[in-house]
Amino acid sequence: MTRQTLLGLGFLSPALLAVMMFFLLPVVLTVVFAFTNMSTSTGILGGEYQISESDLRRLPAVGVGEDAVALLAGAGYAVQPETLAQFAAEFGEDRAAELDKLHGGAKFDDQRAMERALKELRRNPLRKVRDRKTAADLFRVSILGQRFATRDDFALAITDLGVPERDRLALTEAAYTGWTFTTQNFELLWELPATWRYALNSVIYVVLTLAFNVGFGLFLALSTFYLPSRTAQTFRAIWFLPRILPPVLYVLMWQWLTWDQGFISAMLRPFGFEPINWMRHTATHAWTFIVLINGCVGASLGMILFSSSLRAIPETQLFAAQVDGANRWQQVRHVLLPQMRWPILFITSYQTLSLLTSFEYILLATDGGPGRQTEVWALAAYHTALSNYGGNLEYGLGAAYALALVIIGILLSALYLRFFKFSELVAKPRIEQ
Amino acid sequence: MKKMTSALALIAATAAAPVLAEDITITVWAGGSNDSDHYRIDNIRIAADMLSREAAIRGEELNITVEGKRDFDGWDGFKQAVTLGAEAGNAPNIVVTSHLDIAPWASAGYIVPVEDYVDLDAWPLNNVYGNLMEIAAFDGMQWGVPQDAESRPFFYWKETFAALGYSEADMDAMSARVEAGEYTLRDMLADARKAVDMGLVEKGYGFYPRVSNGPDYAQFYQSFGGELTDPETGKLLFDRTAMTEMYQFFVDAVDAGVTRRNHIGTEWDQWYSEVANGKAAFWHGGTWHYGRYTGKEGNEDFFGTVGFTLIPAGNDAGRANTVTHPLVYLLTDQEDDRAEEIAAQLVAIASEPRLNTLHAIKSSHLAIGKAEAGLDLYSGDRWAAEATEVLLPHANAQPNHPNYGAFSEAMFKGLEAAWTGVQTPEEAVAEVEAQLTATLGDELIVR
Repeated sequence: MTRQTLLGLGFLSPALLAVMMFFLLPVVLTVVFAFTNMSTSTGILGGEYQISESDLRRLPAVGVGEDAVALLAGAGYAVQPETLAQFAAEFGEDRAAELDKLHGGAKFDDQRAMERALKELRRNPLRKVRDRKTAADLFRVSILGQRFATRDDFALAITDLGVPERDRLALTEAAYTGWTFTTQNFELLWELPATWRYALNSVIYVVLTLAFNVGFGLFLALSTFYLPSRTAQTFRAIWFLPRILPPVLYVLMWQWLTWDQGFISAMLRPFGFEPINWMRHTATHAWTFIVLINGCVGASLGMILFSSSLRAIPETQLFAAQVDGANRWQQVRHVLLPQMRWPILFITSYQTLSLLTSFEYILLATDGGPGRQTEVWALAAYHTALSNYGGNLEYGLGAAYALALVIIGILLSALYLRFFKFSELVAKPRIEQ
Repeated sequence: MKKMTSALALIAATAAAPVLAEDITITVWAGGSNDSDHYRIDNIRIAADMLSREAAIRGEELNITVEGKRDFDGWDGFKQAVTLGAEAGNAPNIVVTSHLDIAPWASAGYIVPVEDYVDLDAWPLNNVYGNLMEIAAFDGMQWGVPQDAESRPFFYWKETFAALGYSEADMDAMSARVEAGEYTLRDMLADARKAVDMGLVEKGYGFYPRVSNGPDYAQFYQSFGGELTDPETGKLLFDRTAMTEMYQFFVDAVDAGVTRRNHIGTEWDQWYSEVANGKAAFWHGGTWHYGRYTGKEGNEDFFGTVGFTLIPAGNDAGRANTVTHPLVYLLTDQEDDRAEEIAAQLVAIASEPRLNTLHAIKSSHLAIGKAEAGLDLYSGDRWAAEATEVLLPHANAQPNHPNYGAFSEAMFKGLEAAWTGVQTPEEAVAEVEAQLTATLGDELIVR
């Protein structure tokens, strides 16, 4: 490797690092997460080993023998010679003797009951809560509800308990609280009827919004192109506002415009229209406003790009067309539009990809309603992975949703590149060959 | 003799060595809390003061700094902050959250059981209602301590009710009639329709339910005979008939013009202002709504304008009911065991009747323990006293099951689909059933 190459790489390295961290890593993680059953319950960084009460009834189904389950299910605390000996070592022989007299051979279901028994010591009572907790722990014979940090600790504990060799592997696997690799997310996506509805919603959303975006952006660019430049700039600045407004504020203004007591209802009331929530009344209402909300944001970007590329077209061509007697429409149709192919390609592909994954305006406007009819794929991914009133977020399933988007995005990009002959755009100009 | 010497040496050492000061910082994060809920954090501060004083009497110096935070971006933001903090090893010591988080967080190892540090049989925890303690337990362990109690009543606007032909005596008897199952949701629907037809309320305002998913909808499932879990196995229970009838009830309400088809997703601010000022005939909410109606919404005569009952039964199979959804104090797993112990002691002290009453009355919640009724602040508050009497004895909670969240979301999605007319109740129920069977597998019993 020459010094120049190294120097080049050296200069690039911060950018490369950023690309790795912020572009590649999220995609890789999405792929990994999509093949796991990760959720709030499993945690993210791995799990521990624990058999809890509710696990007991699940065990036979995963191949743990009945006798092993019976061993695990036994009472949690026992006053027996071994445990008493431990107690005597820590808290004195007198106390152990008294407890033996009071509860020798007794079994207790839970810690609370054990502590109650310990409270009965009279001669030399365990006065402090902390001591009673420590003492109660010495009588624990069951591993139910105990967490073991490593596989080995757990293996040791079940061996001590006398779980037969043949059940140990299945039991250890069932006891793991962390996530495991699985393909069930994809099976689930395939099976659930809702998935197909979300896919269809996404198609509706992307196609309609894209048509609005590109069409309206182009219209704005062309209409301001023929205006005096100062006026044109003012108009463009106004149309650019939706993009620079914070989304929450921008959507809030749409909410005010559309709700039952909002602007539209108030304006239409004198004409005998019932006040309705214009954004959420039916699915059609919701889609119309979602397309408008997103479209206005997207159109402003298109407008800026189209405007600048219109200016790059030599004015002389327009003069020539005028001399030939072309009117404005003919100029647009035959002179301007044919030269706008690349910017239109760029905006179309860029917007398709960003619309596929964007859901924030829908989240703020309708949150997928009414009746999940505007729940698009990306929003479903968000709801699954990051929003659940009951508290158990399904990261794995959410990632599977997201992974589907990544794949569709890559396929679509390839398709666009072929369709619009991107290779011609980046080809070397003939003049330089 | 040897014992004696060592004891003496110990005393000498303790006396001679300067008292070592112990400085500890306890962070408390409270989810879903607004301004009137500040005692969720302040009570921990008061408890810290108490604990330091107790330590001082024992001759120890214990300085506890309590740092509180309750401005989160909704429940989602709060839960993400807690879980990601726990993963990163810097979770707050104490969290105030829904009891439904216990199951997933316990299984992920984010929280530690409170029973490992405090005596549940001692004051003040032995004063907390047994059924509430039960709600903060999971898998045979006591994970948390209830921070407040509430319940979710059914409300009606008295003026509208009177115009429908009910007398003052009828209204007094309402809660008893609802409890006995003599006045059902179907009767309510008929009355609501009458109210709309008579022009007492606008179309769509006869019955004005909650605008988003929440424990409230589990109540209607119970009204039609649904049970959330199977008591024998602890598995979640999906009752096809009850679910269909519940969906059908909301569809009928829409068809009768008493509830808006696009009601779900209405702005909360709009909703509060409408129900607090008599725009709706019937609605349902929570005991904490009292504070909002009489405060921000300016209803100065709550008891003269609003009547409340249990959520009526829907049919013979169901029962009048109400769900309580207490928030709980939970302790997170920390590197430092001492921090967990102090946090647990603070939570116990904050559950003292006097302290909890401060929160209950300030935020229009209900008492967590028996002794609070004996305090003047509590018994002198008409709302707290009446709501405790009418609602709390009949309150049940949603189950602490790791998959209950998925169950509740699916149930609501199906309801929304039927409500907005996208699917018939039967179709919606079939889809929810298919989804739940696929996702929950063995953890679900379909009946």
